[in-house]
Amino acid sequence: MKNKRILKLVGSVCMVAVLTLTLVLVSGCAEEPEDIYKIGIFQILSHPALDSAREGFKDAFKAGLEDVGLNETKVVFTERNAAGSMDVCYTIADYFVSEGVDLICAIATPCVIAAATAVEGTDIPVVFNSVTEPMDAGVVNNWTVPGGQVTGVSDIAPVDPQIQLILDVLEAPANNLTLNKLGVMYNAGEDNSVYQVDVQLVEALDNLGLTGNVTVVKATVSTGADIPAAAQTLVDAAVDAIWVPTDNTVVAGIEGLVGPCEDNDIPLVAADVATVERGALGCWGLDYYDIGYASGEMAAEILLEGANPATMPVQTAPMNLLYLYPEEAERQGVTIPQDLLDQATEIIED
Amino acid sequence: MITPMSENKSLLKLKRISKIFSKGTVDEVRALDKIDLDVNSGDYIAIIGSNGAGKTTLLNVIAGVYPPESGEIILNGRNITRLCEYRCANFVGRVYQDPHVGTAAKMTIEENMAMALLRGQPRGLRVAANKQRRELFRAALTPLGLGLEKRLNALVGTLSGGQRQALALVMANLSKPAILLLDEHIATLDPRTAQIVLDLTDMVVKREKMTTIMVTHNMELALRHGNRLIMMHKGRIVVDMNQEQKADLTIHDLVVAFERASGEEFADDSVLLHPGNVVGISDL
Amino acid sequence: MLDPTAVGHLLGFSLYEGLVYGFLALGVYLTFRVLAFPDLTVDGSFVLGAAVAAVLIIYGVNPFLATLAALGAGLCAGLITSLLNTKLRIPALLASILVMVALYSINLRIMGRPNLPLLRETTIFSLASQLPGLETRLVYQLVVAVVLAAIVFFALNWFLRTEIGLALRATGDNEQMVRGAGVDTDKTTILGVSIANGLVALSGGVVAQAQGFVDVNMGIGMIIIGLAAVIIGEALFRPKGVARLLLATLGGTFVYRLVLSLALRAGMAPGDLKLITAVIVIIALAVPYLQKRIRREWLPPAPRW
Repeated sequence: MKNKRILKLVGSVCMVAVLTLTLVLVSGCAEEPEDIYKIGIFQILSHPALDSAREGFKDAFKAGLEDVGLNETKVVFTERNAAGSMDVCYTIADYFVSEGVDLICAIATPCVIAAATAVEGTDIPVVFNSVTEPMDAGVVNNWTVPGGQVTGVSDIAPVDPQIQLILDVLEAPANNLTLNKLGVMYNAGEDNSVYQVDVQLVEALDNLGLTGNVTVVKATVSTGADIPAAAQTLVDAAVDAIWVPTDNTVVAGIEGLVGPCEDNDIPLVAADVATVERGALGCWGLDYYDIGYASGEMAAEILLEGANPATMPVQTAPMNLLYLYPEEAERQGVTIPQDLLDQATEIIED
Repeated sequence: MITPMSENKSLLKLKRISKIFSKGTVDEVRALDKIDLDVNSGDYIAIIGSNGAGKTTLLNVIAGVYPPESGEIILNGRNITRLCEYRCANFVGRVYQDPHVGTAAKMTIEENMAMALLRGQPRGLRVAANKQRRELFRAALTPLGLGLEKRLNALVGTLSGGQRQALALVMANLSKPAILLLDEHIATLDPRTAQIVLDLTDMVVKREKMTTIMVTHNMELALRHGNRLIMMHKGRIVVDMNQEQKADLTIHDLVVAFERASGEEFADDSVLLHPGNVVGISDL
Repeated sequence: MLDPTAVGHLLGFSLYEGLVYGFLALGVYLTFRVLAFPDLTVDGSFVLGAAVAAVLIIYGVNPFLATLAALGAGLCAGLITSLLNTKLRIPALLASILVMVALYSINLRIMGRPNLPLLRETTIFSLASQLPGLETRLVYQLVVAVVLAAIVFFALNWFLRTEIGLALRATGDNEQMVRGAGVDTDKTTILGVSIANGLVALSGGVVAQAQGFVDVNMGIGMIIIGLAAVIIGEALFRPKGVARLLLATLGGTFVYRLVLSLALRAGMAPGDLKLITAVIVIIALAVPYLQKRIRREWLPPAPRW
């Protein structure tokens, strides 16, 4: 009886050991030559904006390699996705560090914090993008002189032009509507959204002289599944327009909001291009690809030109672009005035 | 109703106890109907009766599982009518028909006994099974002759039903409760183990002078064991005999006594056909 | 071909995670297995512990005290769940879900914002890193984890053998017997569920300090991790007796995090990892059953859970 138990224990340990060896062999075996750059990229979850930021990062770094006469085979990207599980962020970061990557690219706030923690005691630099408030997150000392191993590109965008866009569309002679109630949908559990809604939106309304004339109706969600119900509360509140900040949760499930907007003739304005393509009438927004690209350029500076992240200021989104989707606007009960269409960086069509 | 004569001190008094289930509905059942019962210290009472007579309900009411609709229960001068089950447990030891109910399968024998030992006492942060207690447990288990005293660290789930029941009986006694309630406790055991447990019951009752109420279907058992025999029918006590009165009775006599007392035919096949009760042709 | 440092780091890191998330698993073990009380408060109390520890640390409180406070907060959460169940007769599963949902808002209030960084703060880990000889991150993380785990293990092992602890264990095994032994099972349930959530909150507090942040969403799915760890531990190590059961739970957490790390390294998305978790648990449960079938041993009917 006792022998059986010892045997079972030994069996279990063997099983675990075999598992370990197999997978380690499978994944980490190939010895790379010294002059290949290893970059670990990880993001909190998948949605078009973050995905395009990642692609922008990679493209920029490869371009940087070409600039110094190197081939793009000189870099190996290891990409991981936490798929929304926070506890895995730290596991991934530790994995990168233990693999001895030359640089970590962290996309979104939980990832950059986990990365910053994991690289303590090493000299691995971290370049982030799509993090709205890096100072708040504690990964940099201040925006101009980060002071550590971490720097990157923030996706903070001025909210003023976005609200102005809503006004321009509503008050155009063709529509002749006023903005009394502004609906906002976001995940109160996302730092960047809370900042945009509680700080930036308030400032924007103030700057535009709308405080007191415009009521903000907030609808919060915890997961994508909550979006339809939250949309209904905004509809019931008879809002004149809905604005969606750069919120990972809502953006990932934006379709749940687009439907009710079309059905109830409520104009929907977003804050990034990818979301416009899925059903907002427009945005003065960010192209996350560009944000990713800028962070890739910073990474190239660090690795290829020996720049020091401690002295590289945090950058903001390089351009503000006007994207308009007139056919979607019609479905949401408004017409986009011609003068706006003339200014547009890009017109999106069905 | 034949009342017993006894000079012993009264331990437990039931006064006009009634228990009604599903009161006010179509299924209303008067499980106990104004029962009066005087149990004296040291009594070893066997209760028999047909199904639905109220035997188990009587035990449950004494043990505090159900509050009675009316009446009082006085134990050692103290009114315990309203006490709930876990408070009554402090002075009531109980063995159930199902061996699995009386013991905890995932714990060891000594842990089960430690639980039972502390019945009636506050529990603290001392380690439950220490050396002295183990000695106590061994001493309690050895007379069973089942070898359990050598297996104090065995999980109770590995014991057979009979062994668990024997253990349950020992556990019920461990804290020296005021009264011991046995609810058909050997009904599910095989003959050999049933005999062991029965012998143990007699021994414990005798040695500890333990006041005991034993519910059984087995009329032979009721006649041969105990100093008092009570027969219940439809929530009432219809027969109550003391030692002398039951000494020479046969099962057949009992049946007749019942019919006379209750005015009904003793028609419960399950009791009559019980292995211990099979009435021979010659008895009729 | 094989890099021994890589394997060593992998095992060491998984061991560290196994211990730190192991408190969570021990809490889940205490409720689901010992008390037979299905407790889903876990997702909420995990973050509660993290939030309380983080806020106190940011206010300058000694991190060890802050971690202890996290444990205390978890005790309160468990207290509420068990009171709802024992005194108001709300079914355990429902009561725990209600508290878990309520805790989301409470945690957000405690934190004041959805994400609290701890990078620049003094944590139990940053204190440990200053001890001589403990410079490597993994080493001092492991040391802290082992010390805490040892304390918890010995405390639980002792407690579950005391008179009160025994009553607690018996409550989940055979509640009727416990009441028959004169114990108020309401009290033992309250005690057990409180302690369990204290352990879960402890886990949250330690994890937050290790990873450098608290996020109000970081509790989502923790109950699954806990259950998987318990089930894996039971199936792999077949423990009997209190000490072995506790160790098996920690072992199960280690195996779970190890497989997670392996799958991550092999490039699987964590979404797939959840599938892998399920597969592992199924294998862990099915193998002993299939073994019995092959041997034609008697099999009881399928347990409800």
